[in-house]
Amino acid sequence: MTPNVLIVAEVDSGRLSLPTVEAAGVARSLSGPDGKIVGIAGGAGAAGAAIEFGEYGIERAYAIDDPRLDGAPAQAQTAYIAAAASAVGAHLVLLGGSTAGRDLAGRVAVAWKAAAANGVTELAWAGEALRVQRPVFGGRATEARLLRGGRAVVSLRPHAFPAAAVERTTCAVERAPAASVPPALLAPRRTGVEAVPKGTGPALSDAPIVVSGGRGVRTPENFRLIEELAASLGAAVGASRAVTDAGWRPTSLQVGQTGRSVSPQLYIAVGISGAIQHLVGMMSSRVIVAINNDATASIFRVADYGIVGDLFAIVPALTAEIHRVRGI
Amino acid sequence: MEIVVCLKPVPDAETRLRPRADGSRLDPEGVKFVLAGYDESAVEQALLLREAIAGSKVHAVSFGPPRWTEEVLRAAIALGCDTATAVESAGEEAGDPIAAAEGLLGAVEGMPHDLVLLGKQAGDDEEGLVPGALAEMLGMPHFGYVVDLHWDGAAQRLRFGRSAEAGQETWESPLPCVIGLQQAWNDPRTAKLPAILKSRRAPIAKVSPPAPSPERAASVPERFALPPPRTGAKMIAYRTPEEAAQQLVRILKEEAKVFP
Ligand SMILES: Cc1cc2nc3c(=O)[nH]c(=O)nc-3n(C[C@H](O)[C@H](O)[C@H](O)COP(=O)(O)OP(=O)(O)OC[C@H]3O[C@@H](n4cnc5c(N)ncnc54)[C@H](O)[C@@H]3O)c2cc1C
Repeated sequence: MTPNVLIVAEVDSGRLSLPTVEAAGVARSLSGPDGKIVGIAGGAGAAGAAIEFGEYGIERAYAIDDPRLDGAPAQAQTAYIAAAASAVGAHLVLLGGSTAGRDLAGRVAVAWKAAAANGVTELAWAGEALRVQRPVFGGRATEARLLRGGRAVVSLRPHAFPAAAVERTTCAVERAPAASVPPALLAPRRTGVEAVPKGTGPALSDAPIVVSGGRGVRTPENFRLIEELAASLGAAVGASRAVTDAGWRPTSLQVGQTGRSVSPQLYIAVGISGAIQHLVGMMSSRVIVAINNDATASIFRVADYGIVGDLFAIVPALTAEIHRVRGI
Repeated sequence: MEIVVCLKPVPDAETRLRPRADGSRLDPEGVKFVLAGYDESAVEQALLLREAIAGSKVHAVSFGPPRWTEEVLRAAIALGCDTATAVESAGEEAGDPIAAAEGLLGAVEGMPHDLVLLGKQAGDDEEGLVPGALAEMLGMPHFGYVVDLHWDGAAQRLRFGRSAEAGQETWESPLPCVIGLQQAWNDPRTAKLPAILKSRRAPIAKVSPPAPSPERAASVPERFALPPPRTGAKMIAYRTPEEAAQQLVRILKEEAKVFP
């Protein structure tokens, strides 16, 4: 079988988002030499983003030419994506692991009569079927499923795959096949976005490294220690609910059951006890480091590496050491 | 406002996870299935909206084997939902969220629904496919990862926030709409004992799921595995904070290979 893959672009300030570039890498490794890989982009800046697929060795992409999609939710692209998937004879529609990508997968699966999986960490062809693997129960187990019927819609877990290597080629951009968008999907409107303040490092759910602080930090002023450690690593800053409930830092930084789920390459938990509601949001991180002065804290049970000690001594020393080693 | 909350029975947090003998999926034997996770927030938000908008009703719907859905629906009634409907299945569709959405569709279509509320993802498989799939079947818009959900009666619009990578977005949408909720205005309430006792006698309507369409692509569970138990952290021995820092950086560089 020579599988054909359609990659749905997510456009972030006119460029392909990191989750989309991760999807491009997966598509290239999954599709054989004869398989087609085609991108599709919609909304504001679609044509420019579609051309960018060429950076990652993808020679063909669709741009959805429909001004009604500018400012409309990504789901308004559903019918176009399904039509494009049929037009290229796709076996797989691949979405990045962003909020929008995960949100779109179920919709596209129904529109294109496909099987679906979200948050996938491994995928491989098994004959006509696609075998996917994903963590479940907050990382306490994994499940493997077969998506049968020759049509699969899959979103990837963020950072489970490396970004596609740059391999410049020219991407021929075509107009996406026509589709009819239900007016109901054009009615919702975005009324604002409170951007993550610039200069505070990468967005939490996107970052390959996250440094989180908990109640052990004691005061909002001391939380600066966590931010300095994060900055030294180019990491995003997270927090336990004890911190966000106390108003030391905004709830947008909260990791856990009622906050963000993150799965970075490296998660450093400082002064966090490891309550189950926190653990479910970070347990599938690849490497977990815990710094806590209580050797019996639950966080050490899920951590790979632990330092038992006073964070007020350890964290500044760690930040200084990282500066020294990275030459910054 | 007629509000439908769709609730998935999921294993109790205390469950010792264990694969079925054939290894394909979780062994449900002896597992208690309950209302949990984001679905609890969905119920809470539905009740808060009912309190805020005069004349509203909250209808709870659950899909799964009757002995699982009953527990969840009685919990929903005890919390204050007005009606309960079970869509009966054999449980073999576990692992096929599109089949779950098909099952819920029949029940939702059969009742008034201005707003369909779900948890943003189920407490067990954490997949988050059902809100979008159900909305596409219903021809309604949908949003997952929603916080701070309000009804603006003057503008006849839902207003809500959504945490996306770029930051916190705010949206407005007319009804009908499907919402996958991340967080209600407050932590879920707990049911009072008299309400729990009364919920045991509450009627539960039953609906049969549609026959699975043979040409639809299917998702079939193949393997359910527990990771090797985390052996606990490797503790870093040190005499001074500087030494601890050096050791950790070296480990992150050379052993874990995650140093930037
Ligand atoms: C419905 C519900 C949802 C929830 N959702 C979330 C969620 O999404 N995210 C979340 O995080 N929590 C959540 N919680 C709360 C959770 O149960 C815990 O209360 C919370 O995670 C505790 O935060 P913490 O670890 O920072 O504080 P604590 O549990 O108080 O731990 C502080 C830790 O700091 C250590 N410490 C103290 N001083 C020092 C020092 N000088 N040096 C080093 N270490 C030190 C202590 O040993 C301790 O382990 C939720 C709870 C409920 C009921």
